[in-house]
Amino acid sequence: MSARRLALAIGAPAALLVLLGLLWSWTAAANPSVLPPLGALPAEFAARPDFYLRNLGHTLGSALSGFGIGVGAALALAIAVVHAPVLRSAVLPVALLLNVTPVVAIAPALVVAFGFTQVPNIVVAALTAFFPMLINALAGFQNVDRGSLEVFNSMAASRTDVFLRLRLPGSLRYLFAGARLSASAAMIGAIVSEFTGSTRGLGATIVTATTYLNLPQMWVAILVSALVSLTLLGIIGLVERIVVRW
Amino acid sequence: MTDAIALRGVGRTFPGKRPVAALDGIDLTVRAGEFVTLFGPSGSGKSTLLRIIAGLERADAGTVEVLGGTPREAALRKDIGWVPQNAALLPWSRVRANAGLSGLVNRRADRAPHPQRVPQDVDGMLAEVGLADFADARPGQLSGGMQQRAALARVFVQGAPLLLMDEPFSALDEITRSAVRLQLLDLWERHRKTVVFVTHSAEEAALLSDRVIVLSPRPGRIAAEIAVPIPRPRADCAADSDAVRAAEREITAALRAGASG
Repeated sequence: MSARRLALAIGAPAALLVLLGLLWSWTAAANPSVLPPLGALPAEFAARPDFYLRNLGHTLGSALSGFGIGVGAALALAIAVVHAPVLRSAVLPVALLLNVTPVVAIAPALVVAFGFTQVPNIVVAALTAFFPMLINALAGFQNVDRGSLEVFNSMAASRTDVFLRLRLPGSLRYLFAGARLSASAAMIGAIVSEFTGSTRGLGATIVTATTYLNLPQMWVAILVSALVSLTLLGIIGLVERIVVRW
Repeated sequence: MTDAIALRGVGRTFPGKRPVAALDGIDLTVRAGEFVTLFGPSGSGKSTLLRIIAGLERADAGTVEVLGGTPREAALRKDIGWVPQNAALLPWSRVRANAGLSGLVNRRADRAPHPQRVPQDVDGMLAEVGLADFADARPGQLSGGMQQRAALARVFVQGAPLLLMDEPFSALDEITRSAVRLQLLDLWERHRKTVVFVTHSAEEAALLSDRVIVLSPRPGRIAAEIAVPIPRPRADCAADSDAVRAAEREITAALRAGASG
C-alpha cells in the first residue's frame, strides 16, 4: 500500500470520527437529556469495567453460540440442497418465513418456552445468523464455473470430489460474506433478545439504563456492543485474508 | 485402425414451448489416433455433439459408442479428456495441482487403469508445455495463453486416449492462439491421441485436422466430410502455406454449400 493510500485509509475514518465527536458534543451540550457528554463515557466504563465485561461476556456467549448453531445449520442445509435440489423448494420458503418473522416478536415466545435462561438468547441469535449464511452458501455452492464442472464430470468425479475440490473452495468468498452478515446479525439478535426477560447481557443493561435514564450506561453498553461487533468482523476478515489467497 | 467413436443416427432436441432441434441423424466414426474437427456456423450443434460424445449431454435418438462402450463407461475409466472453452483452472490451486487434477478425482479408475490410458508425469508435462517455471504459480498469475497451456498439460497428464476440445482457443488473441495451436500440434504428434476438436476457424481446422466434419445450420446435420491431406508433422507448417490455404478454402466452400442447401 502506498503512503498516500495508507494516509487516506487511516485519515478518512479518523476525520469522520472527529466530525462525529464534534457533532455529538454539540448535541450533548444543546440537549443533555438526549446524549451524555462524550467525556462521561470513558469515565463510566472505567468506574465499572467488570460490570460491562460481565454483561458483554453473557451477550458474546449467546451471540457466538447462536452464530455457531445458525451457521452450522445453514451450511448443512445448503449442502443438502446442493446434493438434492428437490429440497430447495421445501427449504427456502421456511427459511424465508423465519427471516421475515420479527426477532422482537419471537423473543417473548421463547422466554415462555425456555424460561429466564440464556437459551432464548442463543436461539434468537441462531435464528438471525441462519438466513444470511444460508443464502450466501446456496449462492456460493451453486455458482460453479461451468467449464470446471464439465472437466470434473468428464472424469466421472464423485459428488464428494466435486463438492470438496470445486464447490467448497469456489464458494469461500460467499461463505465469508455470509459469515460477516451472520456475525453482525447474531450480535443484534442476542442483544434484542435480552431486551425481554433477561437480567444479564448488554441488551438488559441498555433496557435498565433506559428505564433509569442513565444515559452514560446506555451509551457505553451500545458502544461496547458496536466495538465487539466490529472486532468480530475484523477477525472474520483476517481469517478470510489468510484462507482466500487467490 | 479401430474406431474410437461410432455415432449412428444421433439426434438431440431441446425441449421447451418451442422445441429446438439441435442435431439430426448424425452418423460419424472417428478412428483411433485421428484428429477430427467439427466445423460449422453458430447453432449447428457442434458443441452439443461434443458434449454427447463426452457423456455430458444425452442423445434423444441414435446410439453413441465411445472406446467400445458408452460415454459413461469411458468417463468412469477416465478415458475422456475434456478441454472446455475457458481454461477452467481452479484459481485456488497452483498450476502443478491443476495439471495433476486427474490424479485427485475418481481415484477408483486409477487402481486398474485402462491399457489405453497412460497418465503422464505432472512436472514432465508442465516442462513440455513450457510452464516448468510456473508450477508453483496460481492461475491468476498466468496470461491467457499460459492458462490454456496449463489446461493442455492437465488433459495430457490424465493420459486419456480420447481428447474432446470445445473451442479451447476461442478466447485468445490471434498471436497467442497461433502459438497455443502449434503447442497442441506438437503435443498431439508426440502423444497421438484421438482428438475431436470444435472450432469456428477454418484456418485452425485446416492446420490441425486429419478430417473436418462440416455441420449444417440447425438442426445440425453432416453437410460434408473433408480430408486434409497435409503431411505431418505440421508443427513447422506455416498457417499461410498453399496447402493450408487450399484446405481452408475447401472447408469454407463446404460450409457455404451446407448453409445454403
